[in-house]
Amino acid sequence: MTVESPAPAQALGSPIMRAEEVSKEFGGLVAVNQVSVDVPLGSIVSIIGPNGAGKTTFFNMLTGLYKSSSGRIVFSGRDITHDRPDVITKLGVARTFQNIRLFGAMTALENVIVGRHCRMRAGLFGSIVRAPWVRAEERAVQERAAETLSYVGLRPRQFAQLSRNLSYGDQRRVEIARALASDPRLLLLDEPTAGMNPQESAALTEFMRKMRNDLELTILLIEHDMKVVMGVSERITVLDHGEKIAEGAPADVRENQRVIEAYLGKQS
Amino acid sequence: MEARSLASSTAPSVGRKVLFEIRRAAGKWGLVALLLAFPVYFAAHDLFIGYGGFANGHATRVHDLTYLGTNIVQGISNGAIWALIAIGYTLVYGIIELINFAHGDVFMIGSFTGVSIWTGIGLGLATSTLGLVVGLPLALLVCMIVCGALNVLIERVGYRPLRGAPRLAPLITAVGFSFILQNVGLLWRGGSTVGVSDLVRENKTVVQISGVVIHRADVLSVAVTIPLVILLGWFVSRTRQGRAMRATAQDPEAARLMGINVDWTISLTFMIGGALAGAAGLVYALYETTIWYLQGFEAGLIAFTAAVMGGIGNLRGAVLGGLIIGCIQQTIDARVGPQWTPFFVFGLLIVVLVLRPQGLLGEETREAG
Amino acid sequence: MNELRAQLQEWRVAIERRLPPWWPRALAVLLIAFGLVLPQLFSPTNNFINTEILALTYVMFALGLNIVVGFAGLLDLGYVAFFALGSYAFGWLGSGWFYKAHVHVLVHGPTGTLPGIHLNFLLILICAGLFTAFAGAIIGVPTLRLRGDYIAIVTLAFGEIIRVFALQGPALKIFGMPLTGGELGISGTDPPYLPGVGMFSQLNIRPWYYTIFVLVLITLFVNVRVRDSRLGRAWIALREDEVAAVSMGIPLVRTKLLAYALGAAFGGIAGAFLGAYTTLIDAGEFQFGFSIFVLAMVILGGLGSIWGVVVGALLLANINYYLIPDVFNSLPGDLGLNFNLTDLQVSIFGFLLVIAMVLRPQGLIPERRRKLELTEGIGESELEEPGTSWAGVEPGEVVQ
Repeated sequence: MTVESPAPAQALGSPIMRAEEVSKEFGGLVAVNQVSVDVPLGSIVSIIGPNGAGKTTFFNMLTGLYKSSSGRIVFSGRDITHDRPDVITKLGVARTFQNIRLFGAMTALENVIVGRHCRMRAGLFGSIVRAPWVRAEERAVQERAAETLSYVGLRPRQFAQLSRNLSYGDQRRVEIARALASDPRLLLLDEPTAGMNPQESAALTEFMRKMRNDLELTILLIEHDMKVVMGVSERITVLDHGEKIAEGAPADVRENQRVIEAYLGKQS
Repeated sequence: MEARSLASSTAPSVGRKVLFEIRRAAGKWGLVALLLAFPVYFAAHDLFIGYGGFANGHATRVHDLTYLGTNIVQGISNGAIWALIAIGYTLVYGIIELINFAHGDVFMIGSFTGVSIWTGIGLGLATSTLGLVVGLPLALLVCMIVCGALNVLIERVGYRPLRGAPRLAPLITAVGFSFILQNVGLLWRGGSTVGVSDLVRENKTVVQISGVVIHRADVLSVAVTIPLVILLGWFVSRTRQGRAMRATAQDPEAARLMGINVDWTISLTFMIGGALAGAAGLVYALYETTIWYLQGFEAGLIAFTAAVMGGIGNLRGAVLGGLIIGCIQQTIDARVGPQWTPFFVFGLLIVVLVLRPQGLLGEETREAG
Repeated sequence: MNELRAQLQEWRVAIERRLPPWWPRALAVLLIAFGLVLPQLFSPTNNFINTEILALTYVMFALGLNIVVGFAGLLDLGYVAFFALGSYAFGWLGSGWFYKAHVHVLVHGPTGTLPGIHLNFLLILICAGLFTAFAGAIIGVPTLRLRGDYIAIVTLAFGEIIRVFALQGPALKIFGMPLTGGELGISGTDPPYLPGVGMFSQLNIRPWYYTIFVLVLITLFVNVRVRDSRLGRAWIALREDEVAAVSMGIPLVRTKLLAYALGAAFGGIAGAFLGAYTTLIDAGEFQFGFSIFVLAMVILGGLGSIWGVVVGALLLANINYYLIPDVFNSLPGDLGLNFNLTDLQVSIFGFLLVIAMVLRPQGLIPERRRKLELTEGIGESELEEPGTSWAGVEPGEVVQ
């Protein structure tokens, strides 16, 4: 698979995304409180924490679905704090969702094709007139989508199935394929192994590494499955009650007293 | 129930940021200011420029708030009727997310039924006060039962079979029922407006407060609405069935798992909505002393607007919306002309929803990932 | 009820299985050929053809609304606004209404000397389309932050506001001339002129028929092209899940406004045509009932389904304007009952709507995707072994 690079080039080792003191308030409730996270280029970073810690809210701010109440978010050197979600996606950030959000009325292939929307050029008139370049673009997109679906492990006869009729595991694959369709630099995965058994989780863990290597991605993931987290992360950030309480290599985080308390102490 | 979609966007530019801050401040206070703007403007106009009136036997310019007071009194009494109908819309929408297009026509059937009932039990212009005091509440009760049953029938036949269907399908059955009911009205009492006995002498003055006349019609409308709304509020918050309604409105699946009979709860909601529309119908007939087979269509539109303005799904919002629209209607009818009233009512609705997409009392819910 | 539905479904599937795979295309070609020949089978002023002209206009309206409601999922209850604006565009640009102006563009014969604004008919259609597209985008703007059913009431509100302006037009002056004719209307509009066909008139309605027929074909063409395009997919994605769509890089505002604009444009062009055909643009036509009528066509036909909507529109228009008032009107009388069918017209119509929805809520010809949903079961992929590999990675394999 070829890779295009829409974001400006950047120095090796520098963070591809940086959240600086980012907060989110809903009315009186502070869901995320001044969290700062650096995501080094090419790394796989996990965000963990008990339920309600604010992880998905944080993700939503990174992708522009929520407007942060304060703080700054920088992606590839560009301030994206106030950017719309579709702009951020076009810059090279893609995501999957905690509860799979595929377009149920579309086939697996169509879902992935939609994922490529921001890299295509055909507009209203192009669609009506269907000049040769438009037709070529459509063909190319269809082929690419099929390749991506194969890459994530779907079989060709599933491509034309309605996504809502696919099994849970396959839907997860399609969601990842859809995220990959826009040629992202940074991939955000929200609890990708939710609902999977240990073998499936292990396979997905290896697949994440493969993706990162093959596609020169950086991966930021939210996870609850500790085996996955410990197995794949190069760095872990721990959130609890909206605050960052620990950060570092897996071995260090595992021993961290505050982290242990956060998980064990709050049994609600 | 979320009303906010995702078009919130601010580019980094200063101009846009300023606009955003203005928008946010406007959203909170602008709305209140906007709604108060009407009465404030007209009050100022009346006080300073004055309005045409009569004093000492000849036409003069009057400078007081009596006219505005009258507008508001009539607005409230009209609005009370709209509120009763709006509650029906909002309850049904809250529980199954359906705009019940036939609801306004249930109101019309309520008027027709009410008139038939009181004529049937012999109430007329010559009836004594005692007769009216006994007869009218009886008619009201029967009317409410009939309309409640009608609404439930419509639900069973037209909406329940479509529970799993595409979301807009029940909308079309609603339209279908609306047409059927209108035709029933047409065949029942013909195509023109029908005069009705002025049983309560709706135009008689009950009391005058600093020049503002309060008619029997005004008292009647409010006297029927307030107890019904209070009763409903009590029912929804204190009784088991009321809690079941609220639970189903929030999350039907969870409600079902909690052992709530969702089907029965939905039918109950329709029954209550229909009953209130029936009550509104009877009051309307006594108030306006005319009924018309197409009155439901217009009333439905107004009441639906009120429900949305107040925040659809929200009971108090429906009442508030009804009263606000009633007041605007009366004020604009009197001062600018009834042909312009829809412009103001709908214009206000659009502005309200732009500033506050969830309606006046509606809840803003967040869209999660 | 459910058994009835299942039975009908069974028959349908059985019939479809016997047909060759190219049957939809062949049917479409056949219908178009039939449509082209139809007027020749009747006299030049036949009432049935008159109804069909009206029906075809409604097809165009319905296809336009289908873009907004069906493709993009935006519940528009104020479509009458575009009918009105399109009609008035014709009234303003193709008659002596603005009598102080003297504008003539590509007009034929004596029309070229009359006061007012007189543009070539095709030019007016284009202007009407652009004008309503613009209006559609404006109407769309307040709805962007709203969710589903709130959009319904805001669009409805705009429809009613436009109606107020249409009715109050005589009192609103632009450069000293009234804006609209209110309920008396703008009349005496220019008959279209096409080279080779001549001046249209009410004495021969065949040119009118072919004009609207061509307009409908163009509308169908655009619809089909757009549906299977990047834009069409974006609309459906927004319809299905706005959050996910936006996260996939679909620009919300631009995409939604395009839906409104394109849908409105078709409504405007159809409205302009109707204004020309009836030669009278009176405010009394522009009622909320029109919006509901067109919406019923879309939903009955199959939301989002182009051919479904065509069938739905033709069916409802014919039932409402021909079958009930003309063909079956005397039926009750013939059966010895004491009324005409028109007395019951509205409730028959309502009754049909209820029956149709209860029996077939997905519409007559559902959008292809819904059909897939109904005929396929949960994927065979459920049968695969656990721990199936992601591409090239076997279970247990470790990638560095």
